[in-house]
Amino acid sequence: MVEQVATLPSSREFNPWPVVVFTCLLVLAGLFLAPTIGVILSSIKTTREIAEGGLWNIPTRLFLGNFVEVLANPAVHRYFLNTLLVTLPATAASIALGVLAGYVFAKLPFWGSNLIFLVLISGMFFPPQVILIPLFQFFNSLGLIDTLWPIIFIHTALGIPICTLLMRNFFATVPNSLREAAILEGANEFQVLTRVALPLSLPALAVLATLQFTWIWNDFLWPLIFTQSDEKRTIMVGIVNLKGQYSVAWGVQGALSLVASLPTLIVFLFFQRYFIKGMTMGAVKG
Amino acid sequence: MSGVILNSVYKNYGDVEVIHGIDLEIKEGEFCVFVGPSGCGKSTLLRMIAGLEETTSGTIHIGQRDVTNVDPADRGIAMVFQTYALYPHMTVEQNLGFGLKMNKVPKSEISEKVRNAADILRLTDYMHRKPKALSGGQRQRVAIGRAIVRGPEVFLFDEPLSNLDAELRVEMRVEIARLHNEMDVTMIYVTHDQVEAMTLADKIVVLRDGIVEQTGAPMELYNNPANKFVAGFIGSPSMNFLDGTIKEGGVQIGPLGDTVYNTSATLPEDGTKVIVGLRPQDLSIEPGESELITELSEKLGGVTYDYLLTPTQEKIVVETKGEGAIAPKTKVKLLFEDQSIYLFDRTTEARIY
Repeated sequence: MVEQVATLPSSREFNPWPVVVFTCLLVLAGLFLAPTIGVILSSIKTTREIAEGGLWNIPTRLFLGNFVEVLANPAVHRYFLNTLLVTLPATAASIALGVLAGYVFAKLPFWGSNLIFLVLISGMFFPPQVILIPLFQFFNSLGLIDTLWPIIFIHTALGIPICTLLMRNFFATVPNSLREAAILEGANEFQVLTRVALPLSLPALAVLATLQFTWIWNDFLWPLIFTQSDEKRTIMVGIVNLKGQYSVAWGVQGALSLVASLPTLIVFLFFQRYFIKGMTMGAVKG
Repeated sequence: MSGVILNSVYKNYGDVEVIHGIDLEIKEGEFCVFVGPSGCGKSTLLRMIAGLEETTSGTIHIGQRDVTNVDPADRGIAMVFQTYALYPHMTVEQNLGFGLKMNKVPKSEISEKVRNAADILRLTDYMHRKPKALSGGQRQRVAIGRAIVRGPEVFLFDEPLSNLDAELRVEMRVEIARLHNEMDVTMIYVTHDQVEAMTLADKIVVLRDGIVEQTGAPMELYNNPANKFVAGFIGSPSMNFLDGTIKEGGVQIGPLGDTVYNTSATLPEDGTKVIVGLRPQDLSIEPGESELITELSEKLGGVTYDYLLTPTQEKIVVETKGEGAIAPKTKVKLLFEDQSIYLFDRTTEARIY
């Protein structure tokens, strides 16, 4: 029988760093979670309970009336529908345009294409406030105020830089010989893109779909500016509208906030596998 | 099945000319190997035939057709890439059938052709695997299968074996030779490995700096190199080059003392400096009083390479059968027949004899 050798060194110095790091992470996690917990707490209490005990009070019983009220409200249905009508086309369009532009920049460069690429990317650094008034005047002159169109167009346009950047960088990792092989085999450029390059870029598409969907779904500014009637409001503006005329309906707002964040959560969970792959791409050899 | 004819083909990248007017005829069914050091333009030339690089001027014919400005897909060629270029998201079966699918071939015909190719290349058991799950050799076979499936007039190979380990390389080399015999189709093959060139080719095209140095059958290039470059490139180990001087109708080789080696050729006038080429295979050594010292010997089993050092620090490689019994740092005499000498012009490097 072989004698077991002790694996632990006899004298081991105490290393404080893991403890410090862990504590920091714990505190940060708490800070990040606090608003969500606050919203959850307020959504399961009656207005009266909130008025008596405050937002952070732990309720004695589970009250689901806020959720019932929110889900039964036809205005909320309208908000959801409007948000979907903005988010889905704008997400799809910005990704589609980013894919096309990214492919050209990565695989079919032409004289000056790098400069055009840089100009396009610089679009990411424009604060929306700078273009707000010109855009309002523009869409006003087209008679599109209080429709969903301006929001769709603006989100599509604002999404193009990030979509192009990500797709270009991803396509650049697809070996040129794959494109050449496909072209030799009779594929045209569009088929190379759809049959070869895109299927290999699912992680990038998943990242973009998640980012764009979340960003557009959660946007507050543009719908606030371009819509006026309650029939055209999106969900984020709708939450504010629900606050009531004389008092703040914390419970109802909390419930709607939670319901409103579900679609982004679902999208994230759906693409999660690819999302993480996409975020770490290039970090490890595939 | 068709031959390939290049007619004063040039290639420029901007102002830089990389292919300087190449004329070449590759016959129907021939196995032609482009060989040369890296940067000699062999891959560029292949890609021009494939249509992946534009031809700046000149014409390329495949069979009877002028394909100089024809799309790659319509040239009747298929190419095997150095990196295999298999589509990672498709199974072996889908990889093989992709080209046919792009050309709208009926499904039943695709599956028949794919099955045939898979049989030829013994890939039948791997049809539903993705490239990731295949070994290097299997991937290479899929890449070749993809070319076969298309039934091209001309096969193009761009250094197809350079990503494989030594053992597999030999195996695949034999496989490609077998394929060529079975299919009897024109093949153009690019490599920097002169062993691959010698073993596979019906015709070798030696390229340097975008110029064809010599074209011919492997043994023809080996026995009758047109210049010092070809002589040095073809044959392994490389030919030894030493300085020599023409003297009394023969040649005196600098580091080898005063002996005049007679050749039957008409030589330049006495005193002309020349380069003398000696193949390691034509040389032998024996211990004896001389200025040459053995430096080290590499024993490969069947043959031994002895490295000799001349007083002027030039190296001479000698290939001997069996195990060389001569210890390092021994003085040796170099023995060879006068007829085995090659002579090259000092300035043009063209062969004199």
